[in-house]
Amino acid sequence: MLSLLIFIPLLGSLLVVLLPDSQKNVYKWITLAVCSLELLVCGAIYLAFDPALADYQLLERVDWITLPLGSLGVVSIDYLVGIDGISLPMVLLSGVVMLVGAISSWTIDKRLKAYHALYLLLTATIIGCFIALDFFLFFLFFEFMLLPMYFLIGLWGGPRREYASIKFFLYTLAGSVLILLVMISLYLSVMDPVETAINIGLIGDRSEATDTIIRQVQFLLADYKIQSQQLVHTFDLRYMAHGSNYLPNSFLGPTGERIVFGIPTRMLAFLCVFLGFAIKLPVVPFHTWLPDAHVEAPTPVSVVLAGVLLKIGGYGFLRIGWGLFPDGAAEYALLLAGLGVISIVYGGFNALAQSDLKKMIAYSSVSHMGFVLLGIASLTSEGVNGAVYQMASHGVLSAMLFLLTGVIYDRTHDRRIDNYRGLASAMPSYTALTAIAFFASLGLPGFSGFVGELFTLMGSFQSLWLPGWMTALATLGIILAAAYFLWTLQRMFFGPLWSRTETAGQLTDLDTRERLMLIPLAALALLLGLFPNLLFNLTNSTVAEWIQRFSVE
Amino acid sequence: MFDENTIRNLFWLLLLLPFLSGSVWLLAGRRINHWVGMAAAVLTLTGLGLSVFLANQIGTEILTLRTEWLIMPGRVVPISFRIDALTLLMLIVVHFIALLVQIYSISYLHDERDRYRYFGFLSLFIGSMLGIVLAGNLIVLYAFWELVGLSSYLLIGFWFRKPQAAAAAKKAFLMNRVGDAGFLLGIFLVLFQAGTTELAALPTEFTSNGWLATLTGFCLFCGCIGKSAQFPLTTWLPDAMEGPTPVSALIHAATMVAAGIFLLARIHFLLTPDALLIITIVGTITMLMAAYSALYQTDIKKVLAYSTVSQLGLMVIGMGTGNGSAALFHLTTHAFFKAGLFLAAGSVIHGVDTQDMRKMGGLRKVMPVTFSGWAVCAAALSGFPLFSGFLSKEAILAGAFGWASQQGGFAYIIPVVAVLSSGLTACYMARQGKLVFFGESRNPDHHAHESSPILTVPILMLAVLSIGFVFAVNPFSAEHGWFYRLFPAVSESEEHLWIAVLSITVVAIGIWLGWRIPVLTKSTSLSRLSEHNWYLDGFYNRVIARPFVRLARFSFAFDQRIIDRLVDFIGIGNVVLAHMISWVDRAIVDGLVNGASWLAHRLGNLTRSVQNGRVQSYIASAVVGLLVILWFLI
Repeated sequence: MLSLLIFIPLLGSLLVVLLPDSQKNVYKWITLAVCSLELLVCGAIYLAFDPALADYQLLERVDWITLPLGSLGVVSIDYLVGIDGISLPMVLLSGVVMLVGAISSWTIDKRLKAYHALYLLLTATIIGCFIALDFFLFFLFFEFMLLPMYFLIGLWGGPRREYASIKFFLYTLAGSVLILLVMISLYLSVMDPVETAINIGLIGDRSEATDTIIRQVQFLLADYKIQSQQLVHTFDLRYMAHGSNYLPNSFLGPTGERIVFGIPTRMLAFLCVFLGFAIKLPVVPFHTWLPDAHVEAPTPVSVVLAGVLLKIGGYGFLRIGWGLFPDGAAEYALLLAGLGVISIVYGGFNALAQSDLKKMIAYSSVSHMGFVLLGIASLTSEGVNGAVYQMASHGVLSAMLFLLTGVIYDRTHDRRIDNYRGLASAMPSYTALTAIAFFASLGLPGFSGFVGELFTLMGSFQSLWLPGWMTALATLGIILAAAYFLWTLQRMFFGPLWSRTETAGQLTDLDTRERLMLIPLAALALLLGLFPNLLFNLTNSTVAEWIQRFSVE
Repeated sequence: MFDENTIRNLFWLLLLLPFLSGSVWLLAGRRINHWVGMAAAVLTLTGLGLSVFLANQIGTEILTLRTEWLIMPGRVVPISFRIDALTLLMLIVVHFIALLVQIYSISYLHDERDRYRYFGFLSLFIGSMLGIVLAGNLIVLYAFWELVGLSSYLLIGFWFRKPQAAAAAKKAFLMNRVGDAGFLLGIFLVLFQAGTTELAALPTEFTSNGWLATLTGFCLFCGCIGKSAQFPLTTWLPDAMEGPTPVSALIHAATMVAAGIFLLARIHFLLTPDALLIITIVGTITMLMAAYSALYQTDIKKVLAYSTVSQLGLMVIGMGTGNGSAALFHLTTHAFFKAGLFLAAGSVIHGVDTQDMRKMGGLRKVMPVTFSGWAVCAAALSGFPLFSGFLSKEAILAGAFGWASQQGGFAYIIPVVAVLSSGLTACYMARQGKLVFFGESRNPDHHAHESSPILTVPILMLAVLSIGFVFAVNPFSAEHGWFYRLFPAVSESEEHLWIAVLSITVVAIGIWLGWRIPVLTKSTSLSRLSEHNWYLDGFYNRVIARPFVRLARFSFAFDQRIIDRLVDFIGIGNVVLAHMISWVDRAIVDGLVNGASWLAHRLGNLTRSVQNGRVQSYIASAVVGLLVILWFLI
């Protein structure tokens, strides 16, 4: 079932490419249909998911590449997808945001074929990232995502689109090179106990593998009893997360005696992975691609970028950074949380200084994603659950915020805050929804933003790794959020109606299509805020087990 | 008797009614304008009935209701509510005043096009306020605390086309947010020390060391500083007068601003002596500064706003000096008489179309009903014997003197300042009375008129409730009245007749002075200090607001000029490097290759000239070659 999530949009993309240009009015309907179908599949997965299980579920596995390399062992790359409580919320979020983005793409009017084909390709790769459990497969999606994103910003963007898209592309690529390095080192250090068991003749088939067999293989490995030719190396993230699958004395072995540049290799690897995903999240000071990309990107691409793309950074932290290198995460907890707090406060201050509405929201994203990092770095159940929650919440709210920016931009092609006053008089529904989105984002109880911030902050305060003043500093972020959102509200929407660029009749209120996108998002934010257990139920068991690796002995 | 289940359901109904009805009003839009006020009032009346019914059923018991809101390993956050005597008192006060205000608003805002929005926001406020009152868990309390802030924001900014209203709304929310950030940290500290935020489950004393417990108390008090406009977060409340006057009566006088006092009552057992001392000092500073600021205001509502701040300071003193029941008593009496004063002020504004007291005068004759309502409430506020304010103020002052005698020394400053401030209270109220109701009209162009009964009846009802007999038969002490039966004082305080005599004297002097403060004198530095509220606004602007914005600009400049430049620099550096490498590639690597091929070319040419296609020369060269080889071999 999970594979459908990847292949439906891929097929849709292919269909768009194959259809002749004369059918170009059909493209957006295809995108809409594919994304709706995608959301339906997400719903089915939600129903099939058992929240009581901590482990991966709905696994689908196909042997993809198996290549004996002599003394280097056997290469094994699998097509392996599955979800757990951390990835499911992200998958559901992607389903929602991609559909909203598809509706928002209605106004795109040039190069329709390319646009829709790329949009669907993007959908496939994003969801692929969240469900891939093979590092190689994950990396493939992670890299492949850049391609559609690059073109979507570079071809349909604003005046400085080339600069922004190249910056986005190269910045992320630089990060992924670091991830690639770690991936290869990990691959060389980790074996697949099941395949190895088959290779050394313990069992004949994967289905015969039991825990005992696996443990037996792991003991053999630890005692150097397995010849290197017979070892099956793997990219499987499940095996990478367990110390006993590491080759003794290997480069990234869990005992961590290897040292490079005076730092244990595992620490170095952790920092590399962190950096790679920190660019994606983004964490200050690696965030400058984000405002540029947002300002130049067309509305639906901004929605996708803020709504789901950034979450891959947080997801990567949980799954790969913290998941594979718990020792590194614990070692640098203070530094990481510090970067989170800096992102929160620095992002907030920068948002306060903006005169472009979209840039303001982009910096507010930096600030809000800082809560995610702070929550994860706290290594507490509240913090990590809160971080996943905050990602989902920010996904919904930032999608809404960028759509709202798109509304005003569509009408006047002007996003400067100072060029408007008193919009509430001309556009009451738009004002109401903007106010809802702003208040929800600044953490008003009843909406989802509050829960995310409350629990990440609570987690960081209760954390054994972090001092209390850090949380105190982070609360400055919620004051700043109130300041920049309410100031914007006051400047743009209140007072007597005035607009610098308006020609009569331009400032019309929301139309049906816009309502169709915004109202469900607002309702979703409210629903999540009132009943946070809807989401925490999904994440609880997985996070509880995930956090085990940081329990203090 | 009803079983507990029914009571539970009624209770949920009580809480959800305003939220649901408010949402309906907001979604319905203008088409409901003509009946929304009535409907809202009827619903509030229902709520009032329910509250009285619950009060009868529950009496002095404590009822807790819990549903699990959020569960994660190691942490359960329930939505829990707690109904005890304090809750029931607040429920009735909030509903009652809300009802009067809604009825009043029907007439006061009858020309407003967005009445649905007004009543929707008002319902939202009532619901959030009930949430605060009912909350049995600090996190739940915090959630409703913020929602009350939202409804206050929406109502202050109700006339959003007025730039001042929009600015005041933002300021109110932001200053409250500052207090709330401290409050949130306080909650975290409680959670950290006690492992729970359930009010019922909190220990009476933290086992941790003193300063941490004091810090916790102070952080929680920050919430009160914000919401009850205590020093230094006072300046939003006077600005909040930009909102419609009935809103000022309900939210910024009677109920919301009192939530800070309510909070202190809820967490009183957590406060250490040091924390209480801080609280007392803050309350005293607030009381004095605000009372002085009220002295020279010219806006009829601003006087009342500063007066509210000052009276909240008095309640905080009551809390700080360990006299919680007296503070709650004053909260209750104040709610009635201050709401009455605001509604009377609204009636005056309605009649004369201005808020500037300098353009009023002589209204006693034109608006006799409003005047009588105002007079009773003002007497209660000033602390006339026989009025409710006197009883509650005396109770706090007596407590403060008792506290000071225990502490000794400098502690006497507190009650003395409080007495002095109450003199100022009488002074500014006398001034307001003289300016508005006595003398001759100073605005002959405008013919004032008495307001309709829908406006005056609520004022009169509140006036009746400001008479001392409502609370106690004894005109000098409420100790045996119904209020103290519900909320017994922690320590029995002795009768301090001399305190009553002292404060009556001070009040009398205050009235005499207030009557004599010249109406339109030229301003002196002292009057300007009062008019500008100790220049706090300017100070905050210069010291906090502007530096913040400047810091934001600086931070953005840093972002663009340093961080982003660095990124660009690395990018450009790479491109330059690429160009250099490409030059190396072309000139050297490729040059070598080219050189090699050139060499080959030349060589080829050389040999090609040899191979000219003539058989004879081939043979000749073959022969020569053979000879050469032979020569070498031999």
